[in-house]
Amino acid sequence: MRRFTVLQVALAILLAAVLLAAPRILTIVQTRMLTEIIYFSLFAVSFNLLFANAGLLSFGHAAYFGLGAYVTAISLKHVAGMPFFAAILLGALAGTVGGIVIGFFCVRRKGSYFALLTLAFNQFLWAIAWKWREVTGGDDGIGGIVPKKPVDLGIVSVDFNNVTNKYYLILIIVVLCLAVGWYLMRTPFGNTVMAVKGNDERASFLGYNVNRSKLLIFSLAACFAGIAGSLFALFQDFVAPSAISMAMSTEVLFMAFLGGTGSFFGPILGAAIFVYFTDWISSITDRWEFILGLLFIALVLYFHQGFIGLIPSRLKSLFAIGENR
Amino acid sequence: METSTLIIQALHGLVYGMLLFLVASGMTLVFGMMDILNIAHAAFYMLGAYVGYTVLMATGNFWLALFVAPVVVGFLGALVERFFLRKVHKYGHAFELLITFGVFFVITEAVKWIWGDFPRPMEVPPALSGSIHLLGFQYPVYRFFILIISFIVLAGLLYVFLKTRLGIRIRAAVSDAQMVDALGVNVPRLFLGVFSGGSALAGLAGVVAGPFLSTYPAMGLDMLVDTFVVVVVGGFGSLPGALVASLMIGELQSFGILFIPRLALVFQFLLMAVVLIIRPAGLFGEKV
Repeated sequence: MRRFTVLQVALAILLAAVLLAAPRILTIVQTRMLTEIIYFSLFAVSFNLLFANAGLLSFGHAAYFGLGAYVTAISLKHVAGMPFFAAILLGALAGTVGGIVIGFFCVRRKGSYFALLTLAFNQFLWAIAWKWREVTGGDDGIGGIVPKKPVDLGIVSVDFNNVTNKYYLILIIVVLCLAVGWYLMRTPFGNTVMAVKGNDERASFLGYNVNRSKLLIFSLAACFAGIAGSLFALFQDFVAPSAISMAMSTEVLFMAFLGGTGSFFGPILGAAIFVYFTDWISSITDRWEFILGLLFIALVLYFHQGFIGLIPSRLKSLFAIGENR
Repeated sequence: METSTLIIQALHGLVYGMLLFLVASGMTLVFGMMDILNIAHAAFYMLGAYVGYTVLMATGNFWLALFVAPVVVGFLGALVERFFLRKVHKYGHAFELLITFGVFFVITEAVKWIWGDFPRPMEVPPALSGSIHLLGFQYPVYRFFILIISFIVLAGLLYVFLKTRLGIRIRAAVSDAQMVDALGVNVPRLFLGVFSGGSALAGLAGVVAGPFLSTYPAMGLDMLVDTFVVVVVGGFGSLPGALVASLMIGELQSFGILFIPRLALVFQFLLMAVVLIIRPAGLFGEKV
């Protein structure tokens, strides 16, 4: 583990202070947007765990996001007396199990084949969400998930119809997850994953179990995506098949590449830019998705590092803790 | 269940399977030759349908549409290869895949923009409307037309690759591009041609599918998923594999709808999962 400099610690404290104070300063609409950025950050980082650390480009990452969202929504809606946190944990579990099962098929394949298989499984789950009306509500979705009364969490009671309360809960969960993910990438497990990305043949000769490491990182990414989906369902108080659609998988790609896939924190910046940019551009033109697509092509052609690449390198060394090695 | 119902259902499956092959063949071709999984292929297919629709509306001539759409889409494919794909080639697979994905997205949105976000029903041309008697039942002529076109394309592809000089050059360039380049063949132009040809096939498939499946904004995505399953089940880059897998999926869906309609949407994925467990490289795939 590397040491942190004083400046880095100061920066972290400042950031924490800003995030904690945000709902007191911002309007309700702005707080809602910030909350959206926060759970999408987790989703985008989970996508990048696969892409940047393991070299696995997933086109179906919404599968786990959607699984988390649906399982949390269904358990809160249909199971009487369902504890609130248990519903989130179930969402995480659903993402993880989905990741293990789908990952089992996918991680043995490389490159395009991998991308394609993940997309196919994504569409498979989407078809189920669309067709299995009795459970998922079909295209009507599931609404009214969040309890109307404040939920007693032991120490504090949280009212989920209050934007600020939701913001804090989601912020805490996401920051915890990000810290766990960041730490894990710096353990021997993270190093193994990087070795596999570098050259999986060599890694396998060195005695690493390549497929098992890939499956582990796949399941971890799916778990985080599941949590992000679960938080999404709670925040929106509504889940529809769009949460599990290819459009959602596309959005997470956009976020990661906008911010920059080269660092752990790049996708977070990407999520922020994506949410603000889509909000702004959709207020100007109805055809904002077309513009977004053009922007994406330009990114892939000329702008590989994403927006985090624009930060001057001297300043970037401050954030170097996030660099993917 | 009556025998005639079964036969008709089997024919339906055959027709959809061959249409699927028509779409998948171009994709398989590009993948087998250039090692690029072209996600934009599905958008080219959709664009083919819409261009065909416009030509048909403007001129009333289906045969003209059948000719114009592949030319337009093939030209667009050439542009995409020349100005996008070739530029990101040096960055590796992921970026080639991402750029075709970006093109898919942009074309889909452009189609919604130009033609609107609702279906554009394409009428079956008079010469191909009506139905014929077959073993005591009626069957629409247009479905036979789909079969015939697909068989012509299949035969044409086999002829080009096995019997012509062009086919030999392409196959040689696939196994050793540097050597073929040194022998005086313009390899980049060859690949440009392959990509453009594959795109034109997608455009052709789009026009053919228009009157059969209707022309709607999600048709690209719907077809994309089915062709992916075809490519995975058949084995990457394998033309015979694509043919067999297309027919399997066509029949599976056709009889699936007949017997278990609720599950019809997921049958192809179950097939894919089973094949992946038994043969991870696909039915005709060469190596894992």
